[in-house]
Amino acid sequence: MTQKTKPRKAPGEGSAVLPVSLLLAVLVPLLLMPLAAVFVFAFRGGFKDFLSALTAEDAQFALRFSLLIAFLTAAVNAVLGTFAAYVLAKYRFPGKKPLTIAVNLPVAIPTVVVGTSLLLLWGPIGLLGKALAPLGFSPMFAPAGVLLAHLFVTFPYMLGAVKPLLDELEVTYEEAAYTLGAGKWQTFRYVILPALRGGLFSGTLLTFAHSLGEFGATVMVSGNLRLRTQTAPLFIFAQFEAGNVEKANAVAAVLAALSFAIFFFLLRWSGPAGGRTQGH
Amino acid sequence: MSIVLDRLSKRFGSQTVVSRVSLEIEDGELFVLLGASGSGKSTVLRLIAGLSVPDSGTIQLRGRDVTDLAPQEREIGFVFQNYSIFRHMSVAENIEFPLKIRRVPAAERTRRREELLDLVGLGGLGGRYAHQLSGGQQQRVALARSLAHKPSVLLLDEPFGALDVKIRGQLRRNLREIQQKLKVTAILVTHDQEEGFELADRVGLMDRGALLEVGHPETLYAKPRTLFGATFLGAGTVLVGRARGNEARLGDLALPIPPEVEHEEGSRVRVLFRPEQVELGTAQPAEGAEAGRHPLGKGEIVEQSFLGALRRLRVRLPPIPGTRQAAPAPYGEEGLLVDVVQPAEEPLPGPEVWVSLRGWHILAPPRPRLLICALPAPAAYPPVLPHLVEAVDAVPILLAVDEDGDEKGTEELRTAVLERAAAGGSGALDGAEVLVRRGDPAAEIGSEQAQSLYDFVVLSGATGPVVGGLLDRLSTALLVLRGDKPTLQRILICTAVGEPGKADVRVGGWLARRLGAEVTLLHVNVRIGGLGGPPEPWVQSHLDRGVATLRALEVKSRSTIRRARTPAEGILAEAAEGQYDLIVMGRHAPRRGPLFGAKSADITLRILAGTKTSMLIVPADE
Amino acid sequence: MGRLGSSSATRSGWPRSLLALLVWGALLLYAVWPWLPGRGRQARPRTIIVYGFSILGDALDRSVLPAFARHWRAETGERVEFVTSFAGSGTITNQLIMGVPAHLALLSLELDAQRLAAAGVIPAGSWKSLPFGGVVNRTPFILLVRPGNPKGIHDFADLGRPGVQVVHPDPLTSGGANWALLAEYGGTARHAAPGHEREAGTAVLRGVWKHVVAQAASARAARTQFENGFGDALVTYEQDAVHGNGDKEKKKKSAPKWEIVYPPSTVLSEHTLVILDKNATAEERPIVRALAAFLWSDEAQKLFVANGFRSVRDELNGANPAFGKIADPFLVADFGGWKKVKKDIVDGIWKGEILPAIGK
Repeated sequence: MTQKTKPRKAPGEGSAVLPVSLLLAVLVPLLLMPLAAVFVFAFRGGFKDFLSALTAEDAQFALRFSLLIAFLTAAVNAVLGTFAAYVLAKYRFPGKKPLTIAVNLPVAIPTVVVGTSLLLLWGPIGLLGKALAPLGFSPMFAPAGVLLAHLFVTFPYMLGAVKPLLDELEVTYEEAAYTLGAGKWQTFRYVILPALRGGLFSGTLLTFAHSLGEFGATVMVSGNLRLRTQTAPLFIFAQFEAGNVEKANAVAAVLAALSFAIFFFLLRWSGPAGGRTQGH
Repeated sequence: MSIVLDRLSKRFGSQTVVSRVSLEIEDGELFVLLGASGSGKSTVLRLIAGLSVPDSGTIQLRGRDVTDLAPQEREIGFVFQNYSIFRHMSVAENIEFPLKIRRVPAAERTRRREELLDLVGLGGLGGRYAHQLSGGQQQRVALARSLAHKPSVLLLDEPFGALDVKIRGQLRRNLREIQQKLKVTAILVTHDQEEGFELADRVGLMDRGALLEVGHPETLYAKPRTLFGATFLGAGTVLVGRARGNEARLGDLALPIPPEVEHEEGSRVRVLFRPEQVELGTAQPAEGAEAGRHPLGKGEIVEQSFLGALRRLRVRLPPIPGTRQAAPAPYGEEGLLVDVVQPAEEPLPGPEVWVSLRGWHILAPPRPRLLICALPAPAAYPPVLPHLVEAVDAVPILLAVDEDGDEKGTEELRTAVLERAAAGGSGALDGAEVLVRRGDPAAEIGSEQAQSLYDFVVLSGATGPVVGGLLDRLSTALLVLRGDKPTLQRILICTAVGEPGKADVRVGGWLARRLGAEVTLLHVNVRIGGLGGPPEPWVQSHLDRGVATLRALEVKSRSTIRRARTPAEGILAEAAEGQYDLIVMGRHAPRRGPLFGAKSADITLRILAGTKTSMLIVPADE
Repeated sequence: MGRLGSSSATRSGWPRSLLALLVWGALLLYAVWPWLPGRGRQARPRTIIVYGFSILGDALDRSVLPAFARHWRAETGERVEFVTSFAGSGTITNQLIMGVPAHLALLSLELDAQRLAAAGVIPAGSWKSLPFGGVVNRTPFILLVRPGNPKGIHDFADLGRPGVQVVHPDPLTSGGANWALLAEYGGTARHAAPGHEREAGTAVLRGVWKHVVAQAASARAARTQFENGFGDALVTYEQDAVHGNGDKEKKKKSAPKWEIVYPPSTVLSEHTLVILDKNATAEERPIVRALAAFLWSDEAQKLFVANGFRSVRDELNGANPAFGKIADPFLVADFGGWKKVKKDIVDGIWKGEILPAIGK
């Protein structure tokens, strides 16, 4: 009966100790400990070993190649995704709904399937690849194929970040710019693009991060060629397979740190109004 | 003239949103476009701004035809209902935006920006962002921004629609002040009648894409031409009676019809009285005893509500013979409803009250509705059709009937009809509603006519069997257009004694007056069994009465009598000699035995088959 | 009007966005560095693409291929570079069928070579015309047990004893596991009374599989599980055990977690070379041929031995002191070749009888 005299507390008013510790109890083994394990293993042989593993030619290549592909993927999909989002948000046309579903499909398809389908289209025995190979155009098992796979797999991220903003951005903002004398390009540059800044920022970072970590589709289309098409995740996997756990962990640690930094950016610095002062 | 719109039309798909809107707005005028949502008023504004492209018609701003110019080239200011303040720019940057686009030097921009901020009462808030401003402040920024580049025309689309009532009033006054100070021509779109009345130099009233009435607010309120105008601009009662002499009859009450209101003997007349024009009394007012008081009848108060200074009452009167209610919309009730307001301090009369009128207004007769039929799609509409539509100021509705019922043909047919309608070039059929039906043409036209009343059904092209089918169904005048004459100048009205002689003369005369045509009245004297003789004296007097009726309508006319074995023969002979453009015939209600045993439909069909002249077949009065 | 609408917006944001820009710029520069123009690149050497199954990675990348490159340079003056890719034998085979442009591939199972032939990637039986029937090197299947061998395990049959927990790669996905099955079955069957071979071999196999507590997708993953303390015994390649993970320093530092037990009779897995002629241009073909021949040279075979593989030439195997003695080693040929083994033992006995019997 003493229970009854105790005043009821609304969520958020009570002590945070219990819910926070519960959350930590779940998160620590689920997320934090595996990450920590990577770092522990990476440095198990001492910092010198870590450094020599990391500076090996193939490790360096894998890291650089992964970054390069991530930069390219982010740049291309930033443009392509924004354009797709603009078309899907601002125009009405028959078949719009199936198209909207189709462009979002890559998030739902297992990446291995994406890789396989790309191979079956562009590969040496693929539908298009068979016809194009004699012309000297065979993107599979080459850097172009990796880029193609990454563009495919990460396409929805830009779209997902930008389209909601465009949907919200009523057409009257564009029209207002027109009536004020701004041309189509000026309107896009000074009105639409700045309104999408937050989405462009987070979409590009997400695309970059996903590209950096992409494995399933890459392993299919790259041929996993050392010093040619081997991305960092493939390197990690291959080294692990070959038993070079420390070498794998060194690159894994760098990759994890990079992803961590990117998401730190994403969470801390995102939002279009983030840097705005209050005026007075 | 700052703004001239000429027959502007806009369709979205097959739906007409703006229909032949013509309008002239003076320099420095504040014009309010008033209408319900979906009436097309915002579309007109967007057409003027260039945010939407008209299907036909032209737009001039300050004497310059801008119909084909992009919005950027029109030098207009536009204020949106949602403000559309650019969120990533400060207030100052928003206001300077049109100036930066125009590469105005920074110093000049700053000067202009400060000036505008002061003008809209936001001095010192230039550094703020949209999310730091109230709705009213944002609307002021939008106004300042739209004025920054000194546009010749300011367009405001429901600018106060998203604001609290209190702020609205203040902003309205500010807007009026600013507009008068800058002497900028402005069009404001709103659905709020009070807002329109408070702001406007003139008001334009829109309904279903058409600009119904234009005028000063007070004129529109007191003397609307249309039923929509009467009911949209404030409360009021509209009763429908009949014109007798120069008076409108509502039961026993006779109200003089002013000369400027067009009316025809026996036609329906719509009488509007505003709530403040109605007086309630406990005793029966002696007619004529009190000057200017016209007793309507005794009723009971069924509703009342207190509005502060005023009290609103609704009185129900018993039905009045020959009188119908048009507004307030009757809810299937017996009797007539009359809305009344009186000062709240006046004592409330008992449940039973006498209703009399202090004032009233008679609405203009409604525009005739023409159902223009094509089977299935016309090769082209007859050239006279646009002329006819314009002359009688008709509302054209284009109906296409597809007999074969081909599924995929519907949209093609609709497109074909619209193309043909536009091919005339005059624009009279622009923006016409298009209906597509499948099945038997006569049955489809008949059912369409029964569903929504038309004044004329117009047929053209090969029509023979359809007319036969239609004559049994229609209770409306049927106009069969043939040949390719661009006008109808000579009209032959065929009267037969004993035939219903009134409707054909009246309708034919009404049409002749609007077309500026000459009329010949024909009587066919039928010889029976070869016996001849002079026409009976009452035949001539019958014709004289017809001529007199036409003269009253200011139609030039003459009469003639022919001898023939049958009426059809006489009419065909006269038609052949007289070079007529149109033959008008009266007709009995379906399946009533006419004179000489011949069905009137047969006569009509025989004449239709015997000439190539256009025909108007008018149903007889009951 | 260069920067419409953002003149006052970013005043406080400047240093931060500058920092971000610098960080990203540095990252980009790092990524493109090797591809930057003006970074004196030599004339492109010939590139030979070699695919191999996982455990060959170190031996090829670090020893054998560089040795060949030196020879080739000395003989012809031409520089040759290698692009390699290592994954499970089955994975590599699938990639080759999909059309990866490899010149040479080293497979862990002859079965995979037969799959390639069936898919038309190589001519049927083409590897058989190479020295030693295409077999480049071997490694016996052995047992790893806990230090001190507390469970007293000395042969595959001992795995069937009560209380023994076995870690085993999964024969459905691992080539090594197929070899392991053959080792377990064959080691006993070879010494059974005539007419009872099948019975004896099946009994051992059943005993082992009753005690399998973990099936890993690959031999490598199985060892990782075992290293992490799972189970009492692991069936795996000798090369894997003696060469470890290529990091000998580490092993010196920490106490060994296991020791090797050589069964008296076990199979020597044989690793087959296939040459994908269709992927080589006319200029590349001589190099490919030379490399293939080099793999059986004294030098290459010694390098394999140093990397823990047993040479196809027994006289060279004495060079690696880590190799233990096997009383009765045998080959897959002794059981009729991989086709027959796959049909009779893997599919027939293991999949057909044992799995249903133990309910796995």
